Amino acid sequence: MKMRSMLKYFISLVGCTMMCMNLHAQQDSIPTIDSLVIKKKYGIRLGIDLSKIARTFLESDYSGLELNGDYRLTNKLYISGEIGTEEQTSVTDYLNSTAKGSYLKIGSDYNMHNNWGDLENLVYFGFRFGASSFEQTLNNYTIYDTNNTTWGQTIIEDSETFSGLSSSWVELMFGFKAEILTNLFVGVNLQLKRRLSESKPENFENIYIPGFGRTFDSGKFGMGFGYNISYLVPFYKKAK
Amino acid sequence: MKQFVYLFLIILFSCEKDDICADTTQTTPRLVIEFYDLTAPDKELAVAGLYALGLDTDALEVPITNEIVMTRTSITLPLKTDDFETEFVLYKSYDIVDGVVRGNPDVIKVTYSTENLYISRACGYITNFQIQTFSIAEDTDQWMRNSEILNYEITNENEIHVKIFH
Repeated sequence: MKMRSMLKYFISLVGCTMMCMNLHAQQDSIPTIDSLVIKKKYGIRLGIDLSKIARTFLESDYSGLELNGDYRLTNKLYISGEIGTEEQTSVTDYLNSTAKGSYLKIGSDYNMHNNWGDLENLVYFGFRFGASSFEQTLNNYTIYDTNNTTWGQTIIEDSETFSGLSSSWVELMFGFKAEILTNLFVGVNLQLKRRLSESKPENFENIYIPGFGRTFDSGKFGMGFGYNISYLVPFYKKAK
Repeated sequence: MKQFVYLFLIILFSCEKDDICADTTQTTPRLVIEFYDLTAPDKELAVAGLYALGLDTDALEVPITNEIVMTRTSITLPLKTDDFETEFVLYKSYDIVDGVVRGNPDVIKVTYSTENLYISRACGYITNFQIQTFSIAEDTDQWMRNSEILNYEITNENEIHVKIFH
């Protein structure tokens, strides 16, 4: 568990660093052209979250898919959204449960990066409203009893499914998108989330919420990350 | 950017404690019995050399973890979480002399219903009990004479559930 978290974190760091370098390299190598009117591409960008696909193959207790898209409104502002499904099995010493469902996130991204020339890279802050519809299955649990050395542990194997659960949240996003080939982008982002609502199963709680991620005992906050590859379908070009 | 990564790091690592059940967490409560004077029912009366053993389904004695012979006014006994009744042998003046057990054993039996209560992702569920009956098996040399259920709900160990008069 810890190893996996460490690995995730390490990969995010490496990913971020590489993106920064990439952006810098491009800034340095492009000469400024004052005499030209620089036009920016406007269109719809569609993508997929590679990390969720990778985790689906690498982790036996996870499967997920997320499609994302954005539409450019102005030079800096995009309407963005994600749609996806996730299934996550969470295991602790005493509890084994699986959450399964789909989610939708809608919001906008604001690009803070001033591109040179006709570059289209993004260093952005995003805001999302998210909603999830899911079910949770309590696969098995061990009665927590520190005095169980006398009679032994009791393990309850009857699985129970709590369906029709839902949750909503807001999230702040920070990320990069770099154009690596014409119209082809790769991006990473970090997400900080805060739950607005959730329907709680009776005599249980939401351990994992698809789209929101794992929940924490300490409160309504959550986090996530994404590695996206996306393709821009340009509709038209417009001067800055 | 840097601050954001640090924040992410802090959240990642601080979360791990959620997955480990802390020792201080309220666990499945045990049955608390207090001993009273038969002639003065309001007064606690210590039992000399009190020692308890569990009885399994084959009526064989099962040692209770941390249970020692001690003169005391109360005893705390673990109930089976996978059954609806548990039996114990309570010895008065327990002693072992040359490998022979001495003392006066009486058998008690408690029947109950159980309810598993969600605690947290780390600890899962604990069992709470609702006492249905409490009985002392009759024998010719019975030291526990009478009992009274004070609290039918066993949800913690801070209150007395059963009074025994002797």
